[in-house]
Amino acid sequence: MERRLQQLFFALSILALVLIVAAAWQANTPSWKTYQHNFLQLEAQGEPNAVAKAAVLATPPEIHQVMLTGLQRVDRCTTCHLGVEDPTMKDAPEPFRYHANLGSHIPSKFGCTICHGGQGLATDKEAAHGKVAFWPNPLLSNDYIRASCGRCHKEGDVPGVPELTEGRRLFESQGCRGCHKLNGVGGSIGPDLTAEGANHRAPEWLEQHFLTPNAVSAGSAMPNFHFTREQARALTYYMLSLTSEEMGSYYSSVRVIPGPEYGRKLFEEKNCITCHNVGGVGAKTGPDLMGVTTHSLEWLDEQLVNPELVYPGSSMPAYDLEPNARKALVAYLNSATPADIQLLLAHKNHPLTPEDVGIEAGKADFARFGCAGCHGTELQGGVPNPNAQGGEVPSLLHLSDDYTKDEVIAVIRNGRAPPLDNTAGPTPPLYMPSWKKVLSDEDINRLADFLWSKQEKKKESW
Amino acid sequence: MNLLQEIWQSIVRRDSLSTDKGKSELVFLNVWLHIHPAKVKKENMKFRHSFYLGFITFFLFLILITTGIALMCYYRPYPPQAYQDMKDLQFVVFMGPFLRNMHRWAAHGMVVCVFLHMCRVFYTGSYKKPRQFNWVIGVFLLLLTLGLSFTGYLLPWDQLAYWAITVGTNIGSYAPLIGGQVRELLLGGHSVGEAALLRFYVLHVAVLPSLVILLTIVHFWRVRKDGGLSRPVWKLKPERETLVTIGAPAEAAPLTVKASTTKTYGLMEVVTGKPIFETVSAEEEEDTVFSFPYAFVREAVTLMATVTTIMVMSLFLNAPLEELANPAKTPNPAKAPWYFLGLQELVSHSALLGGVVAPALMVLARRPRDRKWVLWLFTIFVVANLVLIVIGTFFRGPGWALVPPWVHVVGGAE
Repeated sequence: MERRLQQLFFALSILALVLIVAAAWQANTPSWKTYQHNFLQLEAQGEPNAVAKAAVLATPPEIHQVMLTGLQRVDRCTTCHLGVEDPTMKDAPEPFRYHANLGSHIPSKFGCTICHGGQGLATDKEAAHGKVAFWPNPLLSNDYIRASCGRCHKEGDVPGVPELTEGRRLFESQGCRGCHKLNGVGGSIGPDLTAEGANHRAPEWLEQHFLTPNAVSAGSAMPNFHFTREQARALTYYMLSLTSEEMGSYYSSVRVIPGPEYGRKLFEEKNCITCHNVGGVGAKTGPDLMGVTTHSLEWLDEQLVNPELVYPGSSMPAYDLEPNARKALVAYLNSATPADIQLLLAHKNHPLTPEDVGIEAGKADFARFGCAGCHGTELQGGVPNPNAQGGEVPSLLHLSDDYTKDEVIAVIRNGRAPPLDNTAGPTPPLYMPSWKKVLSDEDINRLADFLWSKQEKKKESW
Repeated sequence: MNLLQEIWQSIVRRDSLSTDKGKSELVFLNVWLHIHPAKVKKENMKFRHSFYLGFITFFLFLILITTGIALMCYYRPYPPQAYQDMKDLQFVVFMGPFLRNMHRWAAHGMVVCVFLHMCRVFYTGSYKKPRQFNWVIGVFLLLLTLGLSFTGYLLPWDQLAYWAITVGTNIGSYAPLIGGQVRELLLGGHSVGEAALLRFYVLHVAVLPSLVILLTIVHFWRVRKDGGLSRPVWKLKPERETLVTIGAPAEAAPLTVKASTTKTYGLMEVVTGKPIFETVSAEEEEDTVFSFPYAFVREAVTLMATVTTIMVMSLFLNAPLEELANPAKTPNPAKAPWYFLGLQELVSHSALLGGVVAPALMVLARRPRDRKWVLWLFTIFVVANLVLIVIGTFFRGPGWALVPPWVHVVGGAE
């Protein structure tokens, strides 16, 4: 017995030794070493003589990594993708092929995963390509990869990616914010989209969701906007780009700052002129913007981000503008002359009266806070809302028939659950949110002014 | 040669192991071995007597200390670097996955073995006089083991870790009066965050291991001082008539030791007074053997068997690592570590039942007169806990609904 036990002890000790060797062997033969070996052989083929060949083949295997503190990632992709920056590898088989069309987006500054997705830290193929459990961010297919441009190019036109511009335009004009929050502004009926791109939904899912919302998430309250395939793709691009990641200053500033031209577009789009004037041309509600750029850049930026902080009680809304958009706006204001404004106003259908100023502001709010999402860009309503009275979101064109202006203001302030069609039925998915915490009383009054300006003539009753 | 011998003698300072004196000296002249008795009962060395569960637990603890110290070299206890370090262990550290796997499986193994060890002790009645105190130490060691496993659970800072600790500490907060405050003290805040990670790390690598080491020393010491492993009553032989009485002070009962003609060691000092417990001296000489080599070789085999088992597991089974912890994204269902799933199951039915009644029962349901009742109660507790753990682990789906493990719930993670 004792002898047996001693033998068992030695046997187990040898087994333990074997296991350690096995574990070391396992650790010492990762697949990336094979890739590096193959790459060296490929490289050696091009060498003129045996000495040079031997020198190439003698390169010790090592992990290549790009530390990107500004992008908060470490990419080890070039451990296997060894020819990415080597033009002589343009016909090499994957994973060694040269990456054409990189332009200024060199891997040493940008890495790979910021555009491609995947798991930069990983060193084996499956895991690195992110096609494993618990890595929510697999490689983006070629169809969607350009959406990643929007992660840094947050405003203005992105060269070569018209989808992003279109996606942003659709988002702001179709009233998506009525239900969805983005960067803190918007309703709460639908999910917050600030980091939608970081949720790692499949792009195909998003696209289908825009085409037929109920097909991919049953019972979704989202109305069918009857987008075209191109529009759905554009919105998908925009959603994928919304990762709310903090990009290092290098990535958000270099050569992507839009100039005064973009600032002018914003100035017009945001209807600044409905309150402000430049050298006396424009509205008088807000201050003259002539010479406003003599303030420090920080002051100007703060004024655009949080006007109340600069001037307590200021009625200027806090606009949701990207840092670079604010810079563009300031650049425009720096150069704007009264003549420019005259030109801008000339494009408007009619000169602005003081009432028009309020109505224009109300219209801007109507678009900005996404009322159009449910009530329609033309206030026509008609978005299906099962089991609400009439089965759809009401049109706002005949409000004055049934309500006073004060009643409408109260509904905007406090919100309202729609009256039920069938009291035993389910709660309708859409409802009017309360806006009093988002909008100031002044904003709500302007919205009512805007609505009243759109009321159609009372139908003749007999 | 002479010099080498002299050096060796200066280290071991004992007689040759071929003599009984050498065998005893090996034990009691050696600081690491002297926690053993020089001689052990033959009966107690049988595997079926104790299943060596205490030793296995101790050896798993040794593996945990070794691998844990190695892991500490690669770990930064703050988010999100903690998670990145896990990825580095997985992908670039030489033998990193093996190291982490060993730590993980040894940790789970230790929880299991502590539990089995306590079952063995309970069913053999080994917690009874004079071993009551050691049972209490053992209960504290169980709690410390669970604490070590629980604090280690958070360190990878992935979704599994984050939500298991969130749920686990929530269960704790159901404890009456102090539950909420203890949770806050543990987390350094109201929810699991940076502060919690640092606190768990400090507990995991410094506070709890120190306490385990201290209590283990006491535990081993008391095993020895309480007369070694317990034995069935019917195997305890009646004391012989030929006991010699040494010294007879006026006020105390005389101390008796067995006279032996073949005894080669001597009693160094005689103190007077009544012995508090059954002593080795009452044992039959022929029932015991020297610890060397009989006990030591068994311990060595157990050590190697434990180590190789954990190594084989670590070669083929990878420790889980999910996505980076995301406080905004609750997995459905969120589960506590498996050994708390019984409690979570109870809490899911009734906070009062799981947070107050069940733990209180464990403390209060002590020693009714009839041992039969105690056995039944303990068995019911063990079986119920196991059943609830199995249900919690394999049969709970989104919304804590009963879902068999073979049914795949589509979109369950949303």
